[in-house]
Amino acid sequence: MTELTTPFRQRAAAALDDAFLRQALTIATTKFIDLRREAFDEFPEGEALRDRARAIKEATLQRLDHYLGQLIDNIERRGGHVHYADTAADARRIILDIARRTGARLAVKSKSMATEEIELNEALLEAGVTPVETDLGEYIIQLAHEKPSHIIAPAIHKTKGQVAELFAKELKREVAADPEELTRIARVELRDKFLAADLGITGANFAVADTGTVVLVTNEGNGRMVTSLPRVHVAVMGVEKVIPSMSDLVVFLAILAKSATGQKLSSYTTLVQGPRRAGELEGAEEFHLVLLDNGRVKQIGGTLREALACLRCGACLNVCPVYRQIGGHAYGYTYPGPIGILLTAMLHGGEAVTDLAHASSLCGACLDACPVRIDIPRMLIELRNENVEHEVAPRGERLVFRLFARLLTRPRLFRLAASLGRLAQRPFTRGGAIRGLPGLFGEWTRTRDLPPVARQTFTERWASLEREA
Amino acid sequence: MTDRAAFLDRIRSEMARARGVGGAAQRGELAPRPARPREIAETLRRELAERWRETLEKFRVEFERVAGVYHGVASVDDVPDVIGAIARERDSRRAIAWHPAALGVDWRSALSTHGLTTVAMPAAGVESAVERQALRDLIAAADIGVTGVDLAVAETGSLVLRSGSGRPRSTSLLPPYHVAVFDRHALVESLAQAGIFLEAWHEVSSEGREDASGRGGVINFITGPSRTADIELTLTRGVHGPKEVHAIFVEGGLGG
Repeated sequence: MTELTTPFRQRAAAALDDAFLRQALTIATTKFIDLRREAFDEFPEGEALRDRARAIKEATLQRLDHYLGQLIDNIERRGGHVHYADTAADARRIILDIARRTGARLAVKSKSMATEEIELNEALLEAGVTPVETDLGEYIIQLAHEKPSHIIAPAIHKTKGQVAELFAKELKREVAADPEELTRIARVELRDKFLAADLGITGANFAVADTGTVVLVTNEGNGRMVTSLPRVHVAVMGVEKVIPSMSDLVVFLAILAKSATGQKLSSYTTLVQGPRRAGELEGAEEFHLVLLDNGRVKQIGGTLREALACLRCGACLNVCPVYRQIGGHAYGYTYPGPIGILLTAMLHGGEAVTDLAHASSLCGACLDACPVRIDIPRMLIELRNENVEHEVAPRGERLVFRLFARLLTRPRLFRLAASLGRLAQRPFTRGGAIRGLPGLFGEWTRTRDLPPVARQTFTERWASLEREA
Repeated sequence: MTDRAAFLDRIRSEMARARGVGGAAQRGELAPRPARPREIAETLRRELAERWRETLEKFRVEFERVAGVYHGVASVDDVPDVIGAIARERDSRRAIAWHPAALGVDWRSALSTHGLTTVAMPAAGVESAVERQALRDLIAAADIGVTGVDLAVAETGSLVLRSGSGRPRSTSLLPPYHVAVFDRHALVESLAQAGIFLEAWHEVSSEGREDASGRGGVINFITGPSRTADIELTLTRGVHGPKEVHAIFVEGGLGG
């Protein structure tokens, strides 16, 4: 795991100071929200399908060993190979072994969060294999030596001008800052790579157990290139991506693209079943599936179990008031946004999200947007609870909250505190809010207002009303 | 390194621990599956053939919404004129096509009168890697790729293509213009119906007969041309795959 040198607060503050980033985020997320809403507005059966999709995920999880076993059998029956990676390091080692054994020098990749998660590109480079990202957004950020800032739109933080400068510098090409022209250049550059590559690396949106099929959803066609042209195809997939049958698959296809980009289907849904068959002109001679645990299996019986239903559509990012302000990079890990906090905790443990667990207003927009209705706010609260149990907050803060809890559970003490508070708050109350408290309490009022104790509290009012009655 | 048994054992022990965990109480239920998908698919095809006009109209609307270009012709003999016109407008000279047996018809000589040199893909496997490479270079250099269609899904405007002998994957991928030819037998109304065909196709393969049918390892749902919006969310077509997708409907039906 890459070490994070700056704390979340500073990363968030830096993002908030970046006027262009905030503008780009507003435009992009607003557009994604509109597209998604329009797609579901004209698809009345969508609501029921979301429930059905979730029920499928749950049923699969209840017999995960069975479906994975079936998937493995069917892939091997087709002449494919399955590998088992407990950790990111295991997954890297497996893929490097395949690269070494097959003498691969050039690897083309279609967009995959799983390979971002295991930091595969760095490992390939060290082993002398050149990885080339072929999704346009990923290609741009690879040239810029950056990380994706959105699950499905990795380069939304870049302007066309910045992309043109980047192409000029890295590809030695003078090019107008025009998306059409920039795309054309990327097509030409990458076409040669597709045709020359030895190794094709993909993730997997789904894997169908009953048939041993890996499913890739793309818009550009790079997923098709990567699985058809190189000699060797390696797919890297979290264990939770398996689904039982083709009948289940079409349920997910009906909601996935609508949630992500508002399309009825993405341009290409590619179902890959093992290596090239006899009689076929193209397709990989070798097909490998790497099943990845990396913290997932532990959550089958853990607090983050629900997050295993995630389809990686990005809908929760677009609607999140925190993501919309700070963007993906400020989160500091592979997966940004509300679901990203949960996935980060899954991958790196709860300690990794002591700050991030609070990067949410718990407004519930993510739960509404999630195609499989993952209760993200519930799990964020669970993570915060774990933080409390592990006493990660400063001693002073813990003391204050312990005293506060004691107050809340003792009515007489609470009433007394309310009247004392009314006096104590006077010097700090301006414009209907308490601001600029001194000392430790200042941490609270530094970024938010505290509502003052009312002139007459609810209990006082209740008592007086009862007397009147 | 972990092996299959150890990997699945650990999953099983976590599953045992899962009972009573938050979220585990959720209802779990799989999508209903057809018991005999091949039979049901055949029945469905017959039913759909009776109301193909409405399905076709819905397909046309959705296909055009995803920037597909729709053409309708009366007979197979009209198809070369349509492809010829597409080629002329785009100054295209070289086409590749699925093998005539996979298309159900041979348009090569008719297309040559339109100035379009068309190479048909071999019907059977090509064992020599050198020859395979040569064919791939040919596909990569072509302007137009002509394919058939296994399913045309009205709900989404998608063309479903199965790879296999005589129907290489890249025919619909590498050339900048993809021309797909279909008739009423390919039409289905919905993704759910397409799901029944996916089940049916694999029912065949579980009996080990798919190799006899010459089917390959890939099924593609193609929904409009290749596209991206990765630079400032500006929609651009023809990133890696075709810039244009044309669908030619043959009312009189394709042979074969």
